[in-house]
Amino acid sequence: MTFYAPNGRVRPVRLSESTRQFAWDSLNQKYGQDALKTMAISMDDLENYESMTKLERYDEAIYRIATQAPIRICPDEKLSGAATLGMAINHRVPATYGGKTVTYSISHLTIDFETVVKYGVNHIRAKAEAALQTHLGTEREPFARSCIHCLNCLDLWHQRYLDALSSMPGYEANYRNLQRVPHQPASNFYEAVQSIWFIFAFNRLCGNWPGVGRLDYLLGDYLEKDLRDGTVTLDEAREILAHFFIKGCEWITGNSNFQNGSGDAQHYQNILLCGIDENGKEVTNQVTYLALDVLEELGISDYPTSVRLNANTDPKLLRRLAEVMRYGGGILAVYGEDTVIDSLTKYGYSLTEARKFANDGCWEVQVPGKTFFAYIPFDSLRVLQEKTLKGYAPDRAFDSFEDLYAAYLVNVQEAVEAIYRDRTSKLLKPNFREHEWQWGEQKPCTVISLFEGGCIESGHSYVEGGPVYNVLSPHIGGLADAVNSLYVIKKLVFDEKKLSFAELMTVLTNNWEGNEPLRQYVIKTYPLYGNDNDEVDAIYARLLNDFSAFCRQLDGRCDYKFPAGVSTFGRQLEWAPFRMASPHGRRAHEVLAGNTSPTPGSDREGATAIIRSYCKADLVNLPTGAALDLKLLPSSVEGEDGLDALVALLQGFVALGGFFMQPDVVDASVLREAQEHPEDYQNLSVRVSGWNARFVTLCKEWQDMVIDQHEKG
Amino acid sequence: MKKDNLISVTEIQRFCMHDGPGVRTTVFLKGCPLRCAWCHNPETQSTAQQILYYPQKCIGCGACVAVCPRGAHRLTEDAHLFDRALCQGCRACVAACCSGALEPSRKEMTVEEILTVVEKDRAFYGALGGITLSGGEPMAQPENALALLRECRRRGIGTAMETCGYFDASYLEALVPLVDLFLWDFKDGNPARHREYTGVDPARIRQNLCRVDALGGVSVLRCIMVKGVNMQEDHYEAIASLWHSLQHCKHVELLPYHAYGGSKMIPLGMEDNGRREWIPSEEDMETAKNILIKKGIRLK
Repeated sequence: MTFYAPNGRVRPVRLSESTRQFAWDSLNQKYGQDALKTMAISMDDLENYESMTKLERYDEAIYRIATQAPIRICPDEKLSGAATLGMAINHRVPATYGGKTVTYSISHLTIDFETVVKYGVNHIRAKAEAALQTHLGTEREPFARSCIHCLNCLDLWHQRYLDALSSMPGYEANYRNLQRVPHQPASNFYEAVQSIWFIFAFNRLCGNWPGVGRLDYLLGDYLEKDLRDGTVTLDEAREILAHFFIKGCEWITGNSNFQNGSGDAQHYQNILLCGIDENGKEVTNQVTYLALDVLEELGISDYPTSVRLNANTDPKLLRRLAEVMRYGGGILAVYGEDTVIDSLTKYGYSLTEARKFANDGCWEVQVPGKTFFAYIPFDSLRVLQEKTLKGYAPDRAFDSFEDLYAAYLVNVQEAVEAIYRDRTSKLLKPNFREHEWQWGEQKPCTVISLFEGGCIESGHSYVEGGPVYNVLSPHIGGLADAVNSLYVIKKLVFDEKKLSFAELMTVLTNNWEGNEPLRQYVIKTYPLYGNDNDEVDAIYARLLNDFSAFCRQLDGRCDYKFPAGVSTFGRQLEWAPFRMASPHGRRAHEVLAGNTSPTPGSDREGATAIIRSYCKADLVNLPTGAALDLKLLPSSVEGEDGLDALVALLQGFVALGGFFMQPDVVDASVLREAQEHPEDYQNLSVRVSGWNARFVTLCKEWQDMVIDQHEKG
Repeated sequence: MKKDNLISVTEIQRFCMHDGPGVRTTVFLKGCPLRCAWCHNPETQSTAQQILYYPQKCIGCGACVAVCPRGAHRLTEDAHLFDRALCQGCRACVAACCSGALEPSRKEMTVEEILTVVEKDRAFYGALGGITLSGGEPMAQPENALALLRECRRRGIGTAMETCGYFDASYLEALVPLVDLFLWDFKDGNPARHREYTGVDPARIRQNLCRVDALGGVSVLRCIMVKGVNMQEDHYEAIASLWHSLQHCKHVELLPYHAYGGSKMIPLGMEDNGRREWIPSEEDMETAKNILIKKGIRLK
């Protein structure tokens, strides 16, 4: 058993042989393949299906899932509970009627595991029973009843595990733990891990993809107490925690069956480590270091893990992070938490809430356990090309850069307003108006709503305004390329007057055909975004400020928040066919920049220059985030010098006010090799964007894009 | 006419991790008194302005042909011919070249201009990183190197210097207090071979290093390993004797020869002089390391 490390490194061995075997089996698809054998529970025998309400159908589906889904108990597993239905891996409630999915499920949130661990599910039930009394006889009553129903279903599923485990030798600890959790508060570290796992698994069994959140924050006190009492050793605790990570690999199927081939390992099950708690005290504890040990040893990338860094982060911790990062796979990403917290408080969250931040399963920031979150992307490059420059119409002309920029801003504002109108019409109850906001009916999602603060109390589900915070975040995409386009037009047409506006339009319409010298001149002469060039970076900062101001103008008009963010995730791929040639020397349909990263191949000054450019924007105006993808060559982080360099990069990123960065260490040649011999690289993971993917499960186009980023980056 | 306060630079490279501790910005100064057969940066040897020509970047647009006053550039059906004998280094072709196929090897920069670049990465230097003067031989422009280092000191930027050690000893007393770490090349302990392969006698290099050490200068010895040339007992013994004589040397680093520097001869209009047979294998490097460790040397 050799757990793959891309750069020829050898991973340390700390875990027991049986735990390593369990990891090996899980990573090599044993349980994912098992799940595919039972895709969903059938509801075909329901005679009155057609006459049932959506909520009734949902409740029935959850009941059948809880009582009929296969129970899985893996050899030597230390934690019990498994999401065993294949359709859940495809982001659906795994129940069908007439061969069709009953309903889709929920993702992009981190649920409230703190309440589960500290107070237990019984506490949630008490809340649900009280809420039912409040809502009796109102239109909220069906949801309130559904909450009780789903808690009952959880109990039925829980009892099935207790029954199965009670007679199995070797699982006494699992049985003992489940007798207490998740219903009662966890009393020790082991129970706390089991409690989180069981609720996580139940949500996933029902098709949802929640994030995990701040694992060291949730578990640290329990471990500290156990270590103090001498009831667990660090080695034992590491084994238990390892099983949490390993069981999270139970959806690895080896094939890419979701989202256009974007990999088999992205189920938004993110984990955050480190950073301050609500009182400003650093969280980092033994659990942090154990989690890093597990990641280092097993190379599990299925929980994209992020660390919250600040100006006071212990240099010893930074060095440990750098050691783990060097194994590649993009396994650790970093937040500059001072910037994030500033951003959230400036936006209007209280300091206490802001300090709790986690993410939605990718990297978009949210207050965990009480936030409905969705983001709505748009391609700012396409807006420039299609709207402002009218598809490069020959009569398009501007007298100055400022005129062009002003016209562009009008179009960006229209794009933001279109997003606002569209979402409002989808979420608002029909026949109501914005200022008298009532949430409209959406797909049922009671199970996840149980674990989102505000839903039970208000009688509204997760997608119907139930959570304490409801966030819809417009995300600007194509940013670097829109900025670079504007900058090159400014230089070429207005400053240097190399050619007229109309001439440039013709050149671009012709996709640079016959204008290779000019194209080369542009590429050679103008340092684009990501090269620490103040002139282009100023346009970048200005555009982001203007965009976030447009979002703010619309914020507060109705019952959801509308904060700005930047992302493409992988959309630069699907946007490519709609894009024309760009002024910065790119031809039509090229796959261009992702997230807040530079245009591939345009960054010539190295990692520090990229970070500097990125940090020149007022990133605090982007409360849901702006991600920087940073590709590093293995040779640049070799040896002790390499560790120092990586630590220095992280420190510089924090000092300059960075928001979120995803460093990945891998050589493009290794990726090419993996493309040709996938059988040898089953567990080579890469950071795609907000998630990691097993490289070999990406489809060809995605693989090419990732290789391209690494080659040029 | 070259002014005294202008520094001849080939390149400034940011985010260097292997030119001293931490994140460093490396400034390559042009001009070197040595002519090592294995030179990794041949474009830094001459102090003259040389036009670098990268054939793979040329798109054959012919702009250089049109502007060259001496007819040094010619385009044939399938090649761009550059006759350096005719070139006077006026750089008209460089300005005209759209694709970056023609570049000047020398830029003249003031201390302020260099420091503007160096300052950019201050957030990443921390306690370890900073500027590294390299080349070429930084002390081939002694006043310039000192001026640059002095300004770094004034601004609190960490300093390191890569040096072949062959320079005027009268600068040492001024230099040593300005440099946090000398990355000192020790190419061959055998004087005859040293002369043959670098063109100069090693005695001065050794004397300078000993003087730096006596003045309290901290150093790292960097020894290039060229298979079949200097990977010999007499060189190892010389490294050991030098190491044991130094008070402030942190460790010795062995750098395997690579042939990449040879390919950098092409833009200078010369043949690739990379020698594959000089590349030591991993085993060769292990052997050398073990020999040196046995001699009591601290290796990195």
